[in-house]
Amino acid sequence: MIRPDAELLLDITDLHASVEDQPILKGVNLQVRSGEIHAVMGRNGSGKSTLSKVLAGHPAYRVTSGTVRYRGENLFELEAEERARLGVFLGFQYPVEIPGVSNLEFLRVATNARRLKQNLEELDTFDFEDHVHERLKVVQMDPAFLERSVNEGFSGGEKKRNEILQMALLEPVVAILDETDSGLDIDALRIVAGGVNQLANANNATLLITHYQRLLDEITPDYVHVMASGRILRTGGRELALELEQIGYDWVDKELAAQGVA
Amino acid sequence: MTSTSTRDLVSQPYKYGFVTEIETDKIDKGLSEEVVRLISSKKDEPEFLLNFRLKAFRHWLTLDEPDWAALGYEAIDYQDIIYYAAPKQQAKKASLDEVDPKLLETFDKLGIPLSEQKRLSNVAVDAVFDSVSIATTYKEKLAEHGVVFCSFTEAVKDHPELIEKYLGSVVASNDNYFAALNSAVFSDGSFVFIPKGVECPMELSTYFRINSGDTGQFERTLIVAEEGASVSYLEGCTAPMFDTNQLHAAVVELVVLDDASIKYSTVQNWYAGDENGVGGIYNFVTKRGQCRGARSRISWTQVETGSAITWKYPSCVLQGADSVGEFYSVALTNNCQQADTGTKMIHVGPRTRSTIVSKGISAGRSSNSYRGLVQMGPGAKGARNYSQCDSMLIGDQAAANTYPYIRSQQPQAAIEHEASTCRISEDQLFYLQSRGIGFEEAVSMMVSGFCRDVFNQLPMEFAAEADKLLALKLEGSVG
Amino acid sequence: MAVSTGEHVLAPVQQRGQAALGRLGLPTRKQEAWRLTNLSRLEAVARMPVNGVATASDAPPCLDGVVRLVLDGVNDPLEGVTLPEGLTPLEPKELELALGHTLDRCGLSDDWLVEFNHASAQQLLALRVCGTVPPLEITMAAASGLIPTRVLLVVEEKAQLELLQVFSGRGEAAHSHLMEVHLGQEAQLNHGVLACADGVAALFAQLAVEQEPRSTYNFTSVVQGWSLGRIEPRVVQVDGQASTTLKGLAVADLEQQLAVHTWVCFEGPDGELDQLQKCLAAGRSHTIFNGAINVPRKAQRTNAAQLSRNLLLSDRARVDTKPELEIVADDVRCAHGATVSQLQEDELFYLRSRGIGASDAAALLLRGACQEVVDLLPTHASAWRPLERVLEGLAS
Repeated sequence: MIRPDAELLLDITDLHASVEDQPILKGVNLQVRSGEIHAVMGRNGSGKSTLSKVLAGHPAYRVTSGTVRYRGENLFELEAEERARLGVFLGFQYPVEIPGVSNLEFLRVATNARRLKQNLEELDTFDFEDHVHERLKVVQMDPAFLERSVNEGFSGGEKKRNEILQMALLEPVVAILDETDSGLDIDALRIVAGGVNQLANANNATLLITHYQRLLDEITPDYVHVMASGRILRTGGRELALELEQIGYDWVDKELAAQGVA
Repeated sequence: MTSTSTRDLVSQPYKYGFVTEIETDKIDKGLSEEVVRLISSKKDEPEFLLNFRLKAFRHWLTLDEPDWAALGYEAIDYQDIIYYAAPKQQAKKASLDEVDPKLLETFDKLGIPLSEQKRLSNVAVDAVFDSVSIATTYKEKLAEHGVVFCSFTEAVKDHPELIEKYLGSVVASNDNYFAALNSAVFSDGSFVFIPKGVECPMELSTYFRINSGDTGQFERTLIVAEEGASVSYLEGCTAPMFDTNQLHAAVVELVVLDDASIKYSTVQNWYAGDENGVGGIYNFVTKRGQCRGARSRISWTQVETGSAITWKYPSCVLQGADSVGEFYSVALTNNCQQADTGTKMIHVGPRTRSTIVSKGISAGRSSNSYRGLVQMGPGAKGARNYSQCDSMLIGDQAAANTYPYIRSQQPQAAIEHEASTCRISEDQLFYLQSRGIGFEEAVSMMVSGFCRDVFNQLPMEFAAEADKLLALKLEGSVG
Repeated sequence: MAVSTGEHVLAPVQQRGQAALGRLGLPTRKQEAWRLTNLSRLEAVARMPVNGVATASDAPPCLDGVVRLVLDGVNDPLEGVTLPEGLTPLEPKELELALGHTLDRCGLSDDWLVEFNHASAQQLLALRVCGTVPPLEITMAAASGLIPTRVLLVVEEKAQLELLQVFSGRGEAAHSHLMEVHLGQEAQLNHGVLACADGVAALFAQLAVEQEPRSTYNFTSVVQGWSLGRIEPRVVQVDGQASTTLKGLAVADLEQQLAVHTWVCFEGPDGELDQLQKCLAAGRSHTIFNGAINVPRKAQRTNAAQLSRNLLLSDRARVDTKPELEIVADDVRCAHGATVSQLQEDELFYLRSRGIGASDAAALLLRGACQEVVDLLPTHASAWRPLERVLEGLAS
């Protein structure tokens, strides 16, 4: 929901970033306020995924210029784990498998790291088990998944639900979901979307990075941004997504050409 | 098996087994300092080269022949070999018309026509007969681009400064036993020099033909690609059938500077010895490339089907940052052949990458071993290696061995190695046959499929040859 | 009983061993099996005097129902111990037939380590296992000098045993251990080796196992903290048709050198091998793995898979790995793989993106890497807190 006086959670100004010396982000400008849901759409290679990794602090990506303020603080001065503890959450497109590390244990440690920053008490093993079982309902996940290694042997849909489960436990302030809908069938999509909707409130914000319109049937965005060639080309409301669905992305090339950009 | 038992199929005789009757200048058997000086004087070499030979020879005398490879062979009597034999034609002819017609005919029979009308138009050939270069096609055309492609002997005369600069800089004479021997008695070979920024307009090829029995063959090849240069080079070889073993100890050195690349392909079809392992070439070769420059690349592609004994490990030393080394190999052994071959990828510089794809096919009672080394030095930050070694076993009497040596001192370098074995299964053969494909062709298809990743790396003309060659070599082995 | 008979039986073995050592001399770099070994440390061990005094034990109390035997190279391990039903010492006649039999089957003749043990060992524990017996624990502690120990285990047809061997080492001490195991048809042995030291002591342990058809051998080794450690499990399936699982974890830090040399041979068809060796090298240490798999002509339909996973945890450490395959039988499934890397960046980032600090994330991943193998030790290993010991040993 859009409220003009809501807290400015994320303020991205002229952000440039590269990976392996290849410039990907070429001047991104974006403002996200509390209570809002933003969708960032674009073709493959537009830089959407890179944006999410840069915000989360992935070491392979280098910021070459521009600023990002998270709740007034300079985001880039914070290490990846600091950002996470302060409430920045990245839902990965391809969540990695970590054999040997128990899912339950991992979730408990992460949850407690966040709780500490929220000035809440840490949960011991027993309390945490109760706590996590509650949260499992948000994503309709089988408790058996807690016994396994992180994401090991999980199907695509199960991995995505594990990401949303983590969101439910960590209660982020800004949740950036990178193509959370990719590879999901309609049922899994509905569960994931349901989880996101349940967790969204006036005090947090969600940035949905998506290729397709269908996720936006389930989660209603306040703003839709179209990204191309490392920048946000156009911003609109919900209707923009519908428009894209109908006319596709070809107009993007014309617009880029008009702006004199490759 | 099917009614066409392959035991009934007769192995196609090695069709290159003929001998050319031609007058040859030979020296007496045996190896000594006098022989080394004699070779150098017959070739009228400058002082630096004679010294290079002598130093190598003296070092060779101090070494013991290596015996660590998984090979068994009758000891080589180094005094029972002739170290110099050249066809008795005068100095290299200015025009091919002046070359002894018997020599031209030989190469014709081998499918390497040298005469103006018949030669392959997009491949320049240096024809080497018994370790002496007798003709090089397209020399002038290449010279227009600044490319030097000639026999090693000619290079010593025309570009001595280049030889002095690069000879022995990649494979030092004291590197190993056979390199030392070669450095002392090498006769001829090819020299290629591609100057800055030049992409060699044709494929270059050297074709070695061993003709005399009793002689050892010691070629020396040196290829240098300066900054931004590139070349694709093919080495081919055949030899007659003799019933004694012959020694082939060659040395190949490659140097690539910044942004340069060399693609070196070999299709080896030496005489392998008969079904009982009598005769055949002993092939002990040292091949190494140095990626000196940043972003330089060396690619070794080999199809080995001949030789009684093969001992070769084409290697890359990856010094330049972001340089790339590749090794693609198909090694086929049949009857009583033994092969111990592989590659060494030595990562020295940062972000260097290497790829190894080795396909071994073991048939008959042969023994086929892959022996490789992947080494990441402390400077190889961000380096990557991927190796895949697959063995195909035909019949249950041949051996396929894999010995990958992997060592690393750099945590930010990643190494990944896989090896697996397979065979031509009856089910798969039957499936193809049930679709009307003949037995031999089915075997051939499956073997080709197995080797696909490597054949794709060969220059186009030779990929087809390689397919046929394998089919030929495998006749009579499945059943 | 076993030891005094053992002394009798071992006397001629000692003589032959000493003669063999004289003939062989110390291993040199020219020998493939010793090419990378720190030979000066090896020499120091070879010169160590045999310890004539038993070491005080700091072993935790063993769990209920577990039979614990202590081998110190000197005293009779069976003195004062009531063996449960099913576990009996070998009779002298049986001993004479069995001793050295498996070593031969595993191709261990003219082997320096074997002869070193032959020349030094004065104590032999030889047991027969019948039916299902309670879990067995054999502990060996070294705190000064060389402790040579030797074990012979005959596991009868259909018998089942969970065996844990625990080696510990402190200071200028070393183990020379030689063990032979004969597994009868349909026998099952879950064998764990937990070997942790203080970074100074040395360990040589050779294991020769012969498996009859349809037997199952599950071997898990966790080796950590030896200044020079070398463990050589060798298994021969005498007529194939058996199942062999070899899982190992080798952790080295500081200046330690740890080598694992395995050899598995299928002398008949339809055998199975599942092998995983993990080596973690931190500090300035050096880990070595050499894994040979031999599949001759008569071993058709063998199914063998071997994986060597190596983690380099510092830029002064070194890893050497050489998985080997020698195959003649053609209707087989044999594969091996090897990887060398550091802790995966993606995995680290995933944990950090969930608020887990960089060094905690690394610790979690290391723990997970070790746990995968440590969890496979026989259940009664828990009394020794194996995972904690291994992780404590990783100072960095």
